[in-house]
Amino acid sequence: MSNLFVRKATGLVRSWSVMDAFIYAFFSINLITLGLYSFSQMYYFEGGMVNALIISAIFIFFEVIVYAGLIAVMPRSGGDYVWQSRILGGAVGFILAVTGWWFILWLWVPLYGDMFRHIVVVPLLGILGAKDVALWFAGTQNGAFTASLITLAIVSIFIALGMKTYARIQKFSFYGGVLGLLIVIVLLLTGSNAAFKAGLDANAVSMFGTQPGVYDATVALGIDAGAITPFSGGALLAVFLVLPYMVFFNLWPNWGATLYGEVRGATDFKRNVAGMGWALGITTLLGILLLYAISKTIGWDFYVQAGAAWWNYAWGYVTEVPALPVWPYPALLAAFLTTNKVLQFIVVVLMSLWWFGWSGTVFLSSTRVIFAAAFDRLLPEKVAEVNERTGTPVNALLLMVIPSVFIAYMFNYNVANFQSLTLASTLVIAVTFLGTTIAAIILPYRKPALYKASPIAKYNVFGIPLITVAGVIFGGFLVFLLYQWIFDPNGLYGIGITNTSSIIYMLSMYVLAAVIYFGFKSYRKRAGIDMDKVQAEIPVE
Amino acid sequence: MTKLFFATDIHGSDICWSKFLNAGKFYGADVLLLGGDMTGKAVVPVIHQGGKNYRVTLLEQVFDISNDDELQDMIKRVRSRGYYPYLTDPDEIAELEKSPEKVSQIFSHEVLKVIQQWMDLADKKLDSSDMKVYCCPGNDDMAEVDELVRSSRRVILAEGQVTPLDGVHEMIASGWSNRTPWDTHREEDEDQLRVRYEAMISKLKDPRNAVFNIHVPPYKSSLDEAPELDKDLRPKMAGQALKPVGSIAVRKVIEETQPLLGLHGHIHEGRGASRIGKTLCINPGSMYEQGTLLGAIVVLGKNKIENYVLTTG
Repeated sequence: MSNLFVRKATGLVRSWSVMDAFIYAFFSINLITLGLYSFSQMYYFEGGMVNALIISAIFIFFEVIVYAGLIAVMPRSGGDYVWQSRILGGAVGFILAVTGWWFILWLWVPLYGDMFRHIVVVPLLGILGAKDVALWFAGTQNGAFTASLITLAIVSIFIALGMKTYARIQKFSFYGGVLGLLIVIVLLLTGSNAAFKAGLDANAVSMFGTQPGVYDATVALGIDAGAITPFSGGALLAVFLVLPYMVFFNLWPNWGATLYGEVRGATDFKRNVAGMGWALGITTLLGILLLYAISKTIGWDFYVQAGAAWWNYAWGYVTEVPALPVWPYPALLAAFLTTNKVLQFIVVVLMSLWWFGWSGTVFLSSTRVIFAAAFDRLLPEKVAEVNERTGTPVNALLLMVIPSVFIAYMFNYNVANFQSLTLASTLVIAVTFLGTTIAAIILPYRKPALYKASPIAKYNVFGIPLITVAGVIFGGFLVFLLYQWIFDPNGLYGIGITNTSSIIYMLSMYVLAAVIYFGFKSYRKRAGIDMDKVQAEIPVE
Repeated sequence: MTKLFFATDIHGSDICWSKFLNAGKFYGADVLLLGGDMTGKAVVPVIHQGGKNYRVTLLEQVFDISNDDELQDMIKRVRSRGYYPYLTDPDEIAELEKSPEKVSQIFSHEVLKVIQQWMDLADKKLDSSDMKVYCCPGNDDMAEVDELVRSSRRVILAEGQVTPLDGVHEMIASGWSNRTPWDTHREEDEDQLRVRYEAMISKLKDPRNAVFNIHVPPYKSSLDEAPELDKDLRPKMAGQALKPVGSIAVRKVIEETQPLLGLHGHIHEGRGASRIGKTLCINPGSMYEQGTLLGAIVVLGKNKIENYVLTTG
């Protein structure tokens, strides 16, 4: 629309910067935290890691189109909760939104905590010479639980600081983190395997008090643990079987998409696709480059074997502490290529920014969903209260923090086999995304007037709306993932029907959400509020 | 007890106006209140290409129209987003590009034409009803809108008035806002806003049982969180960075007077409810461009809010 015919009115803003959208999405599919954490766990697959990275990114690009399309048709509406509520009904919208954007985030807290200790705490303590404390954090349940509690404190502070401040922290972290990654990649590309072996042996002894011969001992442990995942290649089916693990890392370019602001035209739709799409593409390329650099100097086999050795111990398959008694963090391994302690410290500090610029997202989305549910009177008004002095949503925060402490305890002390639930964190959100994807597929047919008057009305593929086509492809991908996770015919993921704890945990969340929804609906009805009517469309005529 | 329905910021949407008029019956409300910003933000030229052919650019997509049905469908589509379709030809477009001041005349004409249609529709629809309907134009609405609302038989202009809602509750109303980056029709400095509000508050019989229907939300109420903008009015951090932009004067008069209820709008993203002391403040938000009427139902009791809920209609 020509600006000539647009008058001055409140809220008429210019388009947001694609770069800003890119940064948020780039951090949501965080190569260093989510990526390296999951890559190290994926040691027992026959499909190539790089192939899986590329194929998953192709499917997830259709997720980008689905979410950018929904934002274009229903902008600033609150995301999955509102999209599903309006297209699929209030009960579906509430249950899938609170499970995917709130309850399951409790399980993410110990995972964030685990990454915090491996990426931030242990390497820094090691470099600073605090060997015993580093090993306590790295190898004990108390250390892991403490890392979860510190994580909770840090993200609570981020919430208290507010989104405006956190967005600045995130931008700073982006530039610092990327600088750190570039240094790591340069170190790896300019180093040699011999130099790495020597550096590993020397630094592991001095920092963590290991016995000499760490490299060879790790190789042996990795082989015993069944480390086989190739760098690339593998049969197509074998590669596809890697995807349900890979998406723990890269299913999230849409994480901040619901706040991308007013969409005035097709250009803004393309900007949304560009922001999220470039983040997905560049992260994938960076991932391939980093894995290549690791392969060149650390050695691919050693990298996979080191991951296998660590997780075989961490998951309790063996009780003996591995030769390298800390998680094989590639940035730390790259820092071993230099003897300069200051440079080692700078590299690890800069790489820590990947965690700090990302961790705040764990609660920010949850508090939004809690607020939206409270405003819809599906939770007590009290939960949406904000402390007048600090601006902190204290009660919403407590609804995140208290269950998270409990779940972090269960996870870190492996009560009821909770450490096996890592991928359940992804499954539950994938179910929420599937609900949204189904809403997107049927949107042009369920809400034709709304769709036709939207900025994506002219985007068709062989006469079928693009959002529907993208939805079918991404929805099919999600169904494949859910089938593999739940039925797990090859026994690869460990969270399906054979894992009672996992099934009970996930089902209990859906039951809790349903109890809250129908309980509050009934309670409000007795008080004179018909929730069905509150959500129903008023007749126009 | 009085049950009121409040909606706001419908920005020229015919669908939202029709829904607003039907909301009383739909929700069983006694009183309908429409907050400010009734008028739309853009004119969409429908450019004649000869014969029955027209070309329209809506949301940066070009549509070619070749018959009357398609033309009517497109006009409806444009109106559904709160924009104003304007039938024109390439010569006039070229002329308007040379003299943009003429565009604002077209704008005023189209805006006022639609407001007149809305008042006519209200008079017709509510003719046999005893529903009370109040409108209070907002900072985006030009002054001429008030005259058209005044001329309605069924819609009452509430701006600057103390209006009795029932035997217990009175309402003050104002669509004026604090300064915005857009220099809109009704905005002024905070001290002037305060004078404006206090002039009405001083006339209230029972301020504690009053309703403050003030378009701009109170500062730092969480109902006033809007994307932070840079100097070029571009959202910072892809819209993730939010900041409070409400009125300090509104907050002060609510803190001091402690009315029963504050009804606000202005910030479309600010949907929610919050308390300032004992006062319940609500901003139902706005999704006018989707034809969805966001609103709030509030049941007023003596000295308390009996119940409330935000609606998505």
